[in-house]
Amino acid sequence: MARMKFLLDAERCIECNACVTACKNENEVPWGINRRRVVTINDGKPGERSISMACMHCTDAPCAAVCPVSCFYTTADAIVLHDKDLCIGCGYCFYACPFGAPQYPRVGNFGSRGKMDKCTYCAGGPQADNTEAEYIQYGANRIAEGKLPLCAEMCSTKALLAGDGEIIAQIYRERVQKRGYGSGAWGWRTAYRETVAI
Amino acid sequence: MLIKRSEARAGKQRLAAAYAGLSAGGLDRRAFLKQAGLTGVGLSALGAIPLTTVRPAAAGPTNFAQPITRIKNICTHCSVGCTVTAEVQNGVWVGQEPSWDSPINRGTHCAKGAAIRELVHGDRRLKYPMKKVNGQWQRIDWDTALNEIADKLMAIRQASGPDAVFWLGSAKQSNEGAYLMRKFAAFWGTNNVDHQARICHSTTVAGVANTWGYGAMTNSYNDIRTSKTMIIMGGNPAEAHPVSLQHLLSGKEMNRANMIVIDPRFTRTAAHATEYVRIRPGTDIPVIWGMLWHIFQNGWEDKDFIRQRVYGMDDVRTEVAKWNPQEVERVTGVPEAQLRKVAETFAKEKPATLIWCMGATQHSVGTANVRAFCTLLLATGNVGGNGNGANIFRGHCNVQGATDVGLDVVTLPHYYGLDANAWRHWSRVWEVSYESMMARFDSPQMAETPGIPSTRYFDAVLLPKDQVQQRDNLKGMVVFGHGGNTVTRMPEVARGLEKLDLLVVADPVPTTFAVLANRQDNTYLLPICTQLECTGSRTASNRSLQWGEQIVKPIFESKNDYEAMYRFAGALDRAAERRNMAFRLQAECFKTYEIGPEGPTSESILKEMNRGALSTGYSGQSPERLKLHMANQEHFDLVTLRGKEGTPVAGEFYGLPWPCWGTPEMKHPGTHILYNTNLHVKEGGGTFRARFGVERNGVSLLAEGSYSKGSELTDGYPEFTTAVLQRLGWYDQLTEAEKAQIARQGGTASWATDLSAGIIRVAMEHGCVPYGNAKARANAWNLPDPVPVHREPIYTPRTDLIAQYPTLPDRRAFRLPHLGQSLQNRMPQVAPNFPIILSSGRLVEYEGGGEETRSNKWLAELQQDMFVEINPRDAAARNIRDGAWVLVQGPEMPRDKQVRVKALVTERVGPGVAWMPFHFAGWFMQEDQRSRYPQGSDPYVLGESVNTVTTYGYDPVTFMQETKVTLCQIRAA
Amino acid sequence: MKIRILALLAALFIGAAGLPALAQGTAQQAPSLADEMAIQALLRGETVHGRITIPDQRAANLIQPQGREWREFHNVTLAWVGGIAVLGMLAILVVFRLAKGRIPIEGGPSGRTIQRFNGFERANHWMVASCFIILALSGLNLTFGRHVLLPVVGPEAFTAVSQWGKYAHNFLAFPFTLGLVLMLLVWIKDNIPNGTDIRWVKAGGGLIGNAHPDSGRFNAGQKGIFWITVLGGAAVAVTGYMLVFPFFFTDIAGMQLSHMIHSIIAALMIAVMLAHIYIGTVGMEGAIDAMSTGQVDLNWAKQHHNLWVEQELAKGRTATPPPAARPAGAD
Repeated sequence: MARMKFLLDAERCIECNACVTACKNENEVPWGINRRRVVTINDGKPGERSISMACMHCTDAPCAAVCPVSCFYTTADAIVLHDKDLCIGCGYCFYACPFGAPQYPRVGNFGSRGKMDKCTYCAGGPQADNTEAEYIQYGANRIAEGKLPLCAEMCSTKALLAGDGEIIAQIYRERVQKRGYGSGAWGWRTAYRETVAI
Repeated sequence: MLIKRSEARAGKQRLAAAYAGLSAGGLDRRAFLKQAGLTGVGLSALGAIPLTTVRPAAAGPTNFAQPITRIKNICTHCSVGCTVTAEVQNGVWVGQEPSWDSPINRGTHCAKGAAIRELVHGDRRLKYPMKKVNGQWQRIDWDTALNEIADKLMAIRQASGPDAVFWLGSAKQSNEGAYLMRKFAAFWGTNNVDHQARICHSTTVAGVANTWGYGAMTNSYNDIRTSKTMIIMGGNPAEAHPVSLQHLLSGKEMNRANMIVIDPRFTRTAAHATEYVRIRPGTDIPVIWGMLWHIFQNGWEDKDFIRQRVYGMDDVRTEVAKWNPQEVERVTGVPEAQLRKVAETFAKEKPATLIWCMGATQHSVGTANVRAFCTLLLATGNVGGNGNGANIFRGHCNVQGATDVGLDVVTLPHYYGLDANAWRHWSRVWEVSYESMMARFDSPQMAETPGIPSTRYFDAVLLPKDQVQQRDNLKGMVVFGHGGNTVTRMPEVARGLEKLDLLVVADPVPTTFAVLANRQDNTYLLPICTQLECTGSRTASNRSLQWGEQIVKPIFESKNDYEAMYRFAGALDRAAERRNMAFRLQAECFKTYEIGPEGPTSESILKEMNRGALSTGYSGQSPERLKLHMANQEHFDLVTLRGKEGTPVAGEFYGLPWPCWGTPEMKHPGTHILYNTNLHVKEGGGTFRARFGVERNGVSLLAEGSYSKGSELTDGYPEFTTAVLQRLGWYDQLTEAEKAQIARQGGTASWATDLSAGIIRVAMEHGCVPYGNAKARANAWNLPDPVPVHREPIYTPRTDLIAQYPTLPDRRAFRLPHLGQSLQNRMPQVAPNFPIILSSGRLVEYEGGGEETRSNKWLAELQQDMFVEINPRDAAARNIRDGAWVLVQGPEMPRDKQVRVKALVTERVGPGVAWMPFHFAGWFMQEDQRSRYPQGSDPYVLGESVNTVTTYGYDPVTFMQETKVTLCQIRAA
Repeated sequence: MKIRILALLAALFIGAAGLPALAQGTAQQAPSLADEMAIQALLRGETVHGRITIPDQRAANLIQPQGREWREFHNVTLAWVGGIAVLGMLAILVVFRLAKGRIPIEGGPSGRTIQRFNGFERANHWMVASCFIILALSGLNLTFGRHVLLPVVGPEAFTAVSQWGKYAHNFLAFPFTLGLVLMLLVWIKDNIPNGTDIRWVKAGGGLIGNAHPDSGRFNAGQKGIFWITVLGGAAVAVTGYMLVFPFFFTDIAGMQLSHMIHSIIAALMIAVMLAHIYIGTVGMEGAIDAMSTGQVDLNWAKQHHNLWVEQELAKGRTATPPPAARPAGAD
């Protein structure tokens, strides 16, 4: 089975936010929930870089480790998903997540969190594949259709790569060799305990 | 391992399962529209947007049990021309897929393209025609609306003449729609018809066309992959044309290309540059001349190229000699060493291309800027080959096309101009008599007089009648697809709009026009669908035409441009009849078209245009050929854009980039790279256009020893006419049918007016380019500054430079007065109170005036506040914190008014410079105008417009507005 | 941690080392400054922070390595500390009981009672106590439930319990805090530590030697409970409100810290309260009366709170009774 990962080539990312709206479009993500976002560091200075970030679907995912109700599960493709019917909106996964991926709809009074929502790697949720029930709770299931997450597929400069970790690392490696400099494979060390060796 | 609940925990009944029952069986179009409409009315404020993960079924998942149709159209946002692939079920657009086959976007999109499906969900769309009654919006039906509008227009026509109505078209219309709009205005009898190119690249078109023939991007986005050096000057394609960066960054990586950004602002593009040069806003010409100073000084220029293909370079040398490094640094702030390095790189590491956008064009010296850019390219021999050229990134999705089809105050379609020959040509194409066309105007003289540009229409409303050189002031205005906040001096705009007798806005959204002025009556809104809901071709920046198929039927009560104009024309005819006027529009203007259930068909409009558009080579792109290209997108090469061997599109360039000479049957492949002498003209080769005669003051204007591959004439030659053919002895190679057509036209014709296209055919048979083979002009003697000279912006903070580099004197043009020096001379009194330079530009999430994109919830969420970028130094001096509210005031605003925006404290802008995005509207000098929108169609995000602050200043050639350099003061709110 | 730093350094080195070998083009570019700065920040264990256009400023944190520490705390430290504290205290109590048995009233009940807590005091005590028990159980559930309860009841039932537990935890925080404030106001005057307490502690509260040490209304042990309740409760309440209003007062680091303080103090308080509950109920004859009826046996009172009894009796003697009332003990 493939080991699905995201890889962001910061050398290419121009903060166009296509990944963000593609995600909204594909999964009908409501206002205020940002499954993916683009952060610009060193804004306005030479060496400015933008990085698109979402759930990285970590190896030994911290969210799953700290979840008090064990609502996370990992698919055969190593995609980290969760069951919203089990989630109690405690917020622990947000404390543990290195990437700020978990999102919570605000429900009721005083900041009470609803059930957590996050990037599903366009792989839906625990229901049967590509059913309306799955779509409404989790969004699209492109993986079941044999497609990759739309954010990466639509990335304007092909900075965001998604797919089997080996393959996207190879694409990135070739790119780095071609141009002579890397951009750090953002978040890989944290998420996958490895980096792309050039 | 647990993966699917269905496997491990089947039978569990949950909330989600209950939702599934609600809309089982998928959604049909009617249910969808009903739900969309309901939610639209319900959500009037941001706070009301549901924040739960439970989504309304309106958007709908793809129902895999039902058939899915995939339909291709083109993104309606920018000029890159990304293909959009829609998945449609039951007439509802349920999903969007990457368009892998398009050689332009290769599956990708920017934020706008990736969110485009929302446009036809239409929560905030204008849903039905509306009119204002005592300041309140009322719903009416189409026929009532059109009849009332027509009556009012005919009244204006009777009282004030046809020139009293201003027709504002759109760069978001298809080629067919824009062309029809231009034709409509001609049949109404006025040249007061314009569109966004005025404020986008009008100066580019004027400057570039005056240099070498056509005012368009010479190469393509894809071709930049082969560049070794690219200078991006006055452009931020990372935000304005994000998908183009795919090609730029690939080139940068594959060729280790130099990517140099010259800009006052450290943009998102600059962040990826190999070299960033910060300049003072408004000093582009000194920077270019400063580069040329080094180039000439060191002999880095391309001497052969200049000798063979450039006229007047010595005049440039004289001007450039004044710009020694010390003077350049004094005026622009760029240090000598850096500029020398950039100049050397550009001249030596070839191919080198110069990319520009509105940072170069939107100036009171816009045309001169662009001319200087072209001169740099000519001096270094960087035009007409792979990887070089003037890569002018146009703005809107069809601004290139709308410009080409002549939606403009100075020309009929396809740059024929406004003279009698032009009118005769188009009268022939339109199958009406020249005399009948002239009769529609106040006088034949008015038919040949350029109209009032879109940057100044409100002046033509407000100025005393004797200041406006036409029968009367503007009294009525019809706007198709245009934002009201896109022109400078908005306080004046608001006054102008208020004074109009009639305002008609035809658009998918209400636009700023609907709310800016406090109008009580005589204001109409007509819902027009987006291009995604109709068919037609649009021209990308690289001159490729792409055919869009209708994805869904127009939603709610909206209609497409063709049908709206057709019915509008009918209503005008009925109104004329009621008044016993002889004027008729529908019967004449639309008689050449096939009328379908949704109005005239786009195919029949394009075919008529093909017949007439010989001058730009829009003649070979028949709808059939364009559709073939869309169906075979995967067969085009990524870099050369050429169709691969053995495919139905073999040898053709993608989208048949104009010029695509002759008739469709001639199968010209289109021209990927303009003026490329390395290719045969039949293969897309070309030369500089012989547009300005053959000699001047005894110096030949024709090329010397340079010609396109395979040309039988191995030196320069003039444009082809029947006379030239006769002199060459080629006349008899015309067929009898072609000769007969020429005879019907009066016996003589040029390549551009010969409706048989025979002259073009014969010229090409001999390897010759129909428009001739001339030199490009480094000296364009017909312009105010034949060789560009630096002129300080009118609102300059450098009052010490005004005496040496003054702007042009006051003058008149385009039927209006035009202030220059008299205003600039006041700066010593103005500048001390407004010490910060204000510039404006684009955000990736929004487009143009932003009304449509701010109504797109997926985009609006990403930019919720209008802001001003201010340097930390200036912010600290004013006690302004990042994210805090500030007040910005411009020198032409009322004394007691400011705009209220958020501060973004950043080093993107240098000290003394501020920058604001231009997409916001709906707040006007701290007045929230949300309540003025028809209920349920207010954009999610409103904000102050930068153009409330921007000031006077127009390019002398095109009346392009100055949006990039003005002055302001900022203080903490 | 060391290994992590080495690996990051290696990544940095590889990034830089790649350059000279490939530096043949004209447009070379070092790994960007931003990348380097970000890696440096990661090395120092700092958050990588940037600019973002959406209003949610939490999203501007690109990477927060502190999540790892928090995970370590939550899954390891808290589990051990909480587990040892709670189970350890239970063990101590069992051992104590087995060793010492139930603490009897010396000389048996006298049959005469004295008012120890009035109705208001008792009501408030029980409000706080019941809130505390639910807060404690729902809190423990978040830490240990997935290991203890989940396998027994299954995921759906466990989620239902935990969800209600979360609601209860959030809402009961308010009466709990109110009760604490009232406790403080009502009982603080009797809980000021004094010399008696030193002697009481030296005597081990009577467990060392045979003579029962002197004690006022509250002995040093009870004062300890009081102050643990009030101060610990305050800490738990403050940090708890930070957690109930996520990101309203603080950022992610503050949230993590709040959670750490909240959970550790809560776990320790639970352990202490177990002892309090034991001694107040089955561990000591006659103690439960104080909080049930409010009337304690005089002998019990003399045994445990001799100074207070004297004080109360003195008050009874000097007080002027209402005209119609008979003097206490006249019958």
